Amino acid sequence: MQLTLNVNGHTRTLDANPAATLLDVLRDELGLIGTKEGCVEGECGACTVLVDGRPVDSCIFPAHAVGTRELTTIEGVGTVDATPLQQAMIKAGAIQCGFCTPGFVMTLTALLDENPSPDEATIRRSLVGNICRCTGYSQIVDAVLECSGGER
Amino acid sequence: MTAIGAAAPRSDADTKVRGTATYGVDVSLPGMIHGAIMRSPVARGRIRRIDTSKAESMPGVWAVITAADAPSHRTGLKIRDERMFATDLISFEGEPIAAVAAESRELARRAVAAIEVDIDEAQPVVDMDFALTDDSPLVHPEWDSYETVGDDFPRGGNVCAEMSSDPEGVAEVFAIADHIIEDEYRSQRQYQAYLEPKGAVAIYEGGRYTVHIAHQYPFRVRDRLAEVLGISSSDVRIVGHHIGGGFGAKLDVSLEPYAALLARATGRPVKIVYERSEDLITCQSREDAIFRVRSAIASDGRILGREIDVLINSGAAGTDGPYLASIAFILAGAPYRVGPTRVRCRSVYTNTAPTGAYRGVSGTHVIFALERHTDHIAQTLDVDRREFRLKNLITDGHTLLNGQVLPDAGIFAQAFDAVEEKAPWAERAREPYTGVGIAATVWLTNPQPGSVILKLNEDGRLGVITGATENGSGAVAMGVTQIAAEELRISPDQVVVTMPDTDTSPYDAGSQGSRTTHVVGRAVGKAASELRQKIYEIAATMLEAAVEDLELVDGGVAVKGSPGSKLTLSKIATQATAQGESLTATGAHATPQPRFDPTCASGLLFPTFPTPTYHVHLAEVRVDPVTGNVEVLRYVVAQEVGTVVNPLGIEGQVQGGVAQGLGYALWENLTIGEDGRYQQRNLESYRLPLATDVPRVETIILEHPDEGGPYGAKGVAEPPIVPVAAAIANAVSDAVGAPIDTIPITPQAVLEALSRSGR
Repeated sequence: MQLTLNVNGHTRTLDANPAATLLDVLRDELGLIGTKEGCVEGECGACTVLVDGRPVDSCIFPAHAVGTRELTTIEGVGTVDATPLQQAMIKAGAIQCGFCTPGFVMTLTALLDENPSPDEATIRRSLVGNICRCTGYSQIVDAVLECSGGER
Repeated sequence: MTAIGAAAPRSDADTKVRGTATYGVDVSLPGMIHGAIMRSPVARGRIRRIDTSKAESMPGVWAVITAADAPSHRTGLKIRDERMFATDLISFEGEPIAAVAAESRELARRAVAAIEVDIDEAQPVVDMDFALTDDSPLVHPEWDSYETVGDDFPRGGNVCAEMSSDPEGVAEVFAIADHIIEDEYRSQRQYQAYLEPKGAVAIYEGGRYTVHIAHQYPFRVRDRLAEVLGISSSDVRIVGHHIGGGFGAKLDVSLEPYAALLARATGRPVKIVYERSEDLITCQSREDAIFRVRSAIASDGRILGREIDVLINSGAAGTDGPYLASIAFILAGAPYRVGPTRVRCRSVYTNTAPTGAYRGVSGTHVIFALERHTDHIAQTLDVDRREFRLKNLITDGHTLLNGQVLPDAGIFAQAFDAVEEKAPWAERAREPYTGVGIAATVWLTNPQPGSVILKLNEDGRLGVITGATENGSGAVAMGVTQIAAEELRISPDQVVVTMPDTDTSPYDAGSQGSRTTHVVGRAVGKAASELRQKIYEIAATMLEAAVEDLELVDGGVAVKGSPGSKLTLSKIATQATAQGESLTATGAHATPQPRFDPTCASGLLFPTFPTPTYHVHLAEVRVDPVTGNVEVLRYVVAQEVGTVVNPLGIEGQVQGGVAQGLGYALWENLTIGEDGRYQQRNLESYRLPLATDVPRVETIILEHPDEGGPYGAKGVAEPPIVPVAAAIANAVSDAVGAPIDTIPITPQAVLEALSRSGR
């Protein structure tokens, strides 16, 4: 079944199973492997991408349901220079194993687009769909506060 | 300029934050097909029939293999009790029965589902106490025929391994005790829950296997895969990739032999990646444990002596259990003075999934039990819980039960003081339903060997070739990188550390027990002194100066006192290459075993805690009397680290380790039904800590440089998880006014405790 996706500003047309998840299409058909498969049950958030700027779990999102909406993956963020969020994450020590990191970058990019100065509680609430097993979250929160000018 | 102590960004940060880092599960090769493993759905039984014909006839299925196609010998880390495939007796849910290779992952899984297996189910052995009775069936009826790796150790029947120590004087101190205090503590299994599921891509070519994985210990996979397949270790090449977390679960061979045999059977590269539920079932979680303790106490507050009996659930395979059985014994001798102490720890076989290594191996449940018991003793004596600890705290030169001397144990007192300064115990507000708890432990830096090759590149950057792995902790991307930079007086971004490849990397014992920064850092130091000498020799000719008159300056070599004479490292390396000299050097290190008393115990396979570090944690909680939920109001850690190599890295290990400890104390729970199967099957039912659950930990770092280096750094990453359940359980018990002696502390347990105490 033909599928046309608007990914990171490029139009891509391919043949995809009607039941294919967005994650499978991104990783297996388009070679966009920065989006990670952690659980395939919409729990861990490692597969988070943005559909019209809103974070979704691509592992449980049907590829054909994207339609004409704009799709942004980690490959579409900080393509030339790392974004201020990404730079703040590096500086704050917000990255350890890094497997969850693309998902966190996507969720937090959406958060900062919607609310450029979130407080700590707002940041933490926005992250309930993203699991990080390494960091205990505090340095990730620090990175966002660095961008938003908020206080701990 | 100094790289030691700098909050430098980790070397892999940019690639990880952009999503360009390739992990084990991202590896894809031309012609690659996909594998899947068919596993027993029952915990105990006998296979009557396996029929793979339907699966084999499916279009796109390349191979189906079973025990008939695989080596039948048993292998293992310490006791050889595992086989690749079950043949007749099934001993745990998830035991492999067959494996399939097919054109796609989806098809491989459909083919697995098409394999027909008839199993005569039997009642599994689930309960550890029952497993030790004469009525229990044997999990391994042929246990007596199993070989051990190295010398045999006490074991028999359903006891996979037994560590015991029975010093003189225990009966005597119980006879004169003013109080005898007895407790039983229970703790659950914990899933490592790394975000990257286990995966492997295997190739069979020219009689050798190449396996691409993301693994904490590539050299062990090389050796264990060779052992499983019955081949020589040089017939295996392990290529490492970025690791999406491991926490101990990626230290042994797991799916690699199946990918390897399927690759040989098909002549194609074969990739296997676990689904989350398969990963959870086969993870070799932290073991569940029952800890029984009896203490003889004098009314003046001394602990006269003790009896400890521990059962740890090994599941249906020994794995790390024989080693882990020693941990309770070592920890029982610190941080408080105890008299003669009898310790027995048995690793017990049951018909449940095998358990294994998880950060803070066994220490998490041992310290939970010992520190809960410490609170119980203080409360029985009606003395302040912190005062009781300080009164009995060990000091410099204390001897552990194994005979190991801790020359610097007085650091404990400094750590208690540091916590007190930040969060004074006496001034704590005692609002209703709030409580405070404190817990302490000693921990080790794993001593096993590591090695490096240093190579000065022609552009003046330093290559570090090593089998050491970056599991996410920063031990390579910060620790080894910054130590190597300091050795040549260059900036950390001028250091390039290779990914492990067992064909070309020198040996390394893996990312375990916080060993990498310390052990590999020392190997770097040794190699660097040789490399500096070679650099000086080349530079001496170029500068027409004597070697002993030269020194390293920022990015180059100069005559001492004459910075204008500086030659860049790039010029020196280019000249060396041109004249046919190699600016490479090797270094290797293993920490010597501290002196101990080998007669102190039997079955002591993990005899000492080398390069010890000291830890005190304090937790403040509030319980909700309506819902039973526990809120962590404040968490303070004082941790001794030797020397800070990178403060960001240490902060991250403390924040992350405590978060995992909070999960263990409060939410995470792998429970086992009477059918021997896990009752949690995914990340929906297995409850991990979220950003809204965990507080920002207040971290106090204490520096006491290790004489042996590197720059005084000791292990950091493993121990922050160890005392957390103890501190939390002590705080919750304080808040509810009744003892909480089982973890995780569920809302129901909180409500029951409140009704017991009448609060």
